Amino acid sequence: MIGTRTLDVSELQPFEISNKSPLFWGQVLMCAIEGSMFFILIATYFYIRMSVDVWPPPGVPSPKPWFATLALIPLLASCVGSYIASEAAKKDDRRRMLLGLGLNLALAVLYLVLRGIEWRRLNFTWASDAHGSIVWTILFLHTYDVIADLLMTTVLILIIARGRYGEKQRLGVHVDSILWYFLVGIWIPLYVVLYWGAHLVGGAR
Amino acid sequence: MSLPLTADRQVTHEAPERDLLKRVWTNAGWFSVTTHQRLGKRYIITAFIFLLLGGIEALLMRLQLGAPENTLLGPARYNQIFTLHGTTMMFLFAVPMMEGMGVYLVPLLLGTRNVAFPRLNAFGYWMFLGGGLLLYGAALTNTIPDAGWFAYPPLSGPQFSPGKGVDVWAQMITFTEISALCVAVELAVTILRMRAPGMTLNKIPMYCWAMLVQSFMIIFAMPAVMVASTVFLLNDRTIGTHFVNPAEGGDPLLYQHVFWFFGHPEVYIIFIPALGMVTAIIEANARRSVFGYPAMVLALVGNGFVAFGLWVHHMFATGLPQIGEAYFTAASMMIAITSGVQIFCWIGTLWTGRLRLTTALHFVFGFIFIFVMGGMTGVILASIPLDLQAHDTFFVVAHFHYVLIGGALFPLFGGFHHWFPKFTGRMIDERLGKLSFWMLFIGFNLTFFPLHLVGLNGMPRRVYTYPVSLGWGPYNQLATFGAFIIAFGGVVFIANVMRSRKLGAAADANPWDAGTLEWATTSPPPNYNFECLPVVAARQPLWTDSPEQGSVVGLRDDRREVLVTSFLEAKPQSRYVIPGETIWPFITAVGFSIGLYYSVFSFAGYYVASVLGMIGLIGWFWPRRPLELRP
Amino acid sequence: MRSVACGMLAASALCAQQSALDPGGRNAQAIHSLLVAFFGLLTTIFVIVIIMAAVPLFRRHRGIEQEPLERTHQPGEATEKRLGLVVGIATAITVLILIALVVVSVSVGKASQGPSRPGKRMTVEVTGNQWWWYVRYYNDQASRIVVDANEIHVPVGEQVMIRGTSNDVIHSFWVPGLQGKRDLIPSRVNTEWLEADRPGYFRGQCAEFCGLQHAHMAMWLVAHSPADFQAWMDNQLKPAVAPSNSDEQRGQQVFLDSACAICHTIRGTRAAGQVGPDLTHFASRLTIAAGTLPNNKGNLGGWIADPQNIKPGTHMATVPVKAEDVQPLLDYLESLK
Repeated sequence: MIGTRTLDVSELQPFEISNKSPLFWGQVLMCAIEGSMFFILIATYFYIRMSVDVWPPPGVPSPKPWFATLALIPLLASCVGSYIASEAAKKDDRRRMLLGLGLNLALAVLYLVLRGIEWRRLNFTWASDAHGSIVWTILFLHTYDVIADLLMTTVLILIIARGRYGEKQRLGVHVDSILWYFLVGIWIPLYVVLYWGAHLVGGAR
Repeated sequence: MSLPLTADRQVTHEAPERDLLKRVWTNAGWFSVTTHQRLGKRYIITAFIFLLLGGIEALLMRLQLGAPENTLLGPARYNQIFTLHGTTMMFLFAVPMMEGMGVYLVPLLLGTRNVAFPRLNAFGYWMFLGGGLLLYGAALTNTIPDAGWFAYPPLSGPQFSPGKGVDVWAQMITFTEISALCVAVELAVTILRMRAPGMTLNKIPMYCWAMLVQSFMIIFAMPAVMVASTVFLLNDRTIGTHFVNPAEGGDPLLYQHVFWFFGHPEVYIIFIPALGMVTAIIEANARRSVFGYPAMVLALVGNGFVAFGLWVHHMFATGLPQIGEAYFTAASMMIAITSGVQIFCWIGTLWTGRLRLTTALHFVFGFIFIFVMGGMTGVILASIPLDLQAHDTFFVVAHFHYVLIGGALFPLFGGFHHWFPKFTGRMIDERLGKLSFWMLFIGFNLTFFPLHLVGLNGMPRRVYTYPVSLGWGPYNQLATFGAFIIAFGGVVFIANVMRSRKLGAAADANPWDAGTLEWATTSPPPNYNFECLPVVAARQPLWTDSPEQGSVVGLRDDRREVLVTSFLEAKPQSRYVIPGETIWPFITAVGFSIGLYYSVFSFAGYYVASVLGMIGLIGWFWPRRPLELRP
Repeated sequence: MRSVACGMLAASALCAQQSALDPGGRNAQAIHSLLVAFFGLLTTIFVIVIIMAAVPLFRRHRGIEQEPLERTHQPGEATEKRLGLVVGIATAITVLILIALVVVSVSVGKASQGPSRPGKRMTVEVTGNQWWWYVRYYNDQASRIVVDANEIHVPVGEQVMIRGTSNDVIHSFWVPGLQGKRDLIPSRVNTEWLEADRPGYFRGQCAEFCGLQHAHMAMWLVAHSPADFQAWMDNQLKPAVAPSNSDEQRGQQVFLDSACAICHTIRGTRAAGQVGPDLTHFASRLTIAAGTLPNNKGNLGGWIADPQNIKPGTHMATVPVKAEDVQPLLDYLESLK
């Protein structure tokens, strides 16, 4: 044996709903993975721009940022819902958890509707040219992640609403908020690239 | 800050408590197992099978190249086989094998019972298997990629590689990438938050430092290969995007940049765990702690960082601006420093230790010889004018086999011999082990040393034949001969393993008198690893006599409970209940696999994968009794 | 090496190396010298490291300097301090050596990759195709531009700028006896400089995997004395040799009437195909099918009769030629000097 003395840990909590939880750290690393992917796509956007002369390509109007900027409001506001839910999860306040998750879901869905409206107005597809490919890819992958998170939020709402849940599910609510903050946060540089990029590096070379 | 250990309680694990642990930690279900030892062994055995397949492909290649103007394999088949060889070795053997060894060893070395996310661990294994089945299942239907293991467009694009072979290749990468990412996340969190109390950052075993660095590298590098293979190449091939199509604003070099941004860290992802194994083997067989622990850790971390800044050295011939290229020469040479520091520290350790020449230590010496030679040719390749002659010739083939086989495979085989008693409870035969070492070592050098010369004498890579008149025949003949010696060495190794598992001498807990925690429990360990989790106060707990070492008491035995400790000081912070056996990781992996297999044919496959995967994940996370965790 | 290979061949023209270790021009020579220097230094370092690693193997039984390791398995402080010094010095030496190697590499890189002097140079445009080389000798006067395939001729002592691109996939232009390689990438133009120091035949080969017949995409770079080069160029500028007898006449007719003229050009005739190599001076080339076979009637007959047999996957069509037309066709093509 390496020693005969003992360390008693029976006083420790059986479960911790906080940023110290291993699940939280795991979720942060998952966000790092997604973030790496998005940063490569941002670099790709600028690489493609440097490979062609005219940006955006002929026939594609320069993006108008006002609608997307307006759409940021419900997106950022949805974080409030996440925050309410995750704080409520620590205290096992069922009503506030549902309130927070519901608020998050509603505002996020509103945001998606706005994005959908704008997306439909694009006059190019992923198969038009390299510009179309990168813009659609960024939009698609971020939207996919958002929808996936919203589906998970919906499932959490169902579980919490049923009333039969334990510490693990409350931890899930807390950790889900991190994923949402990440998806909102990573959208900011993506939004800058997609809507202001053409103004920053556009034109003819 | 010392931990409050007391001498109050006696640690006697009575038989009823042990039986309880055994029942709680059962791992009988084949599809539902979540214990790390069983999953680790599964990874290792599956990856080893892929090593054998890759080896057979190599032998076929060497048979074809053994004589000039040979007609054993035609161009189509040869191109498929060298593609399969590289793809299998890099994606289906090397990374999963290193992950598997980590999955098995890391919890033991850290003094805990399982990895942080056992279900994720299972899911990762099934995804790895799904990827391998995709590639080889397709191969059975003669749908085989043939554009090389890195598949440059436009050759790999829709116009010049019609058919589904390259699509299969690209999507197989998605599987292996997901698998590696799962293991990386769980090992990183385990190493950061589930160490034995008292195992401060300064006392983490070097192998765990290596796995930590490697895990972070995977997290930041693997997304790039997904972007290159799936987002760029597969979409260009299947849905008409134009990322790498020069006719519509795309650029084949974009693919190369993004692929090698992954590809260079990838080889360090394979190599860094092996460095950790070398330290473990040397410490046990030189009977001392490795010299220069802080320098070694800094070297590992530095290696991890610098590896991300080198990728352009794979592209020196593509006509990039000179000033950029000069930076990459400097960086590519500088990484030799991080490797060099470790070599110097190991040699210093060997000088001042008391050596016991086990088979494992033989493989370490083989590693030093072969890897350092590979490092020398690497310095040559870092120099642009020299690279412009040697790039894409057999000189490069020789170089990367020296660094990968020397740097990763030899330590791995050393690790197999070193940890064989722990895995199986039996000692591996040392004479057969040393015989297999010499065959592998001599065979390897006979095979790959001549390739340096034939490369500089003009033989490009990936040629299915070559004319008699160029005089490359004798070199190639020798290389083919050597390849069969390697093969026989492999056969001796396998025979040794099979024989020793049944007939080897029984191994006790610590047959090597080593100092780290995996040797503090029985061989093989029980599913719960340690009856009581250890408390440590030194880098080599088993060599240390200290009142600050001991055991953890107070964890419940009637459920799977482990300890979460703080990041820097490893002070106990909370208990953590981890899941038992469950079928949902398998179901989720099957769901994703069905969808991703379908996506080779249609984009709708991604939606299928999403729906089926979502169903699996809901089952995975759905609340189960007991809901409340009573203290 | 060269003499052994040469001794085995009848046609000495085909007996040239494709080797970076046998430089025939200033660029490859600079690289070769750097290689020798690197090799010498790195081999020395390797030997030192291996000896240092092997010493413990021989010392272990004699116990020199091996203190009885204390219970903690740790050598004494003095030993560790000494080790620290040694490792520190070794690391510092490593850093210095690597810095020196970087500086030398960048310097030789500039010297070997750029033009060595301003002024007169020749420009040759090379376009990679699956699996042959399109060659175009650029000239300011349009009438002096020459199109050829699979062979490049240069005068000794003159700087040649190779401007390369590709029509399909990525290839790589590599003549190791004269210069390192440069990738040929579609939609990009890469340049490299080379200069031959002596007359001779330098074999090159595509060095980027480009598909089924990557292994059979070779070329010859022939260096002439300036006078001989001028003579060669003057001949290339002429249109194709006219048939000199009835068999060759018949052969030309067969060529023009069949599918051959769709893909190939013979200047001076109505054959103006752009898909395959230019055949205007076909008979003056050393090899057929991009270095695959020596150029003679027998090989040419086999190539035309069944290209897939020689180079499976080649894009050259199998054009049916009536049995009685074969010899006249071969006579004609081999008359195109």
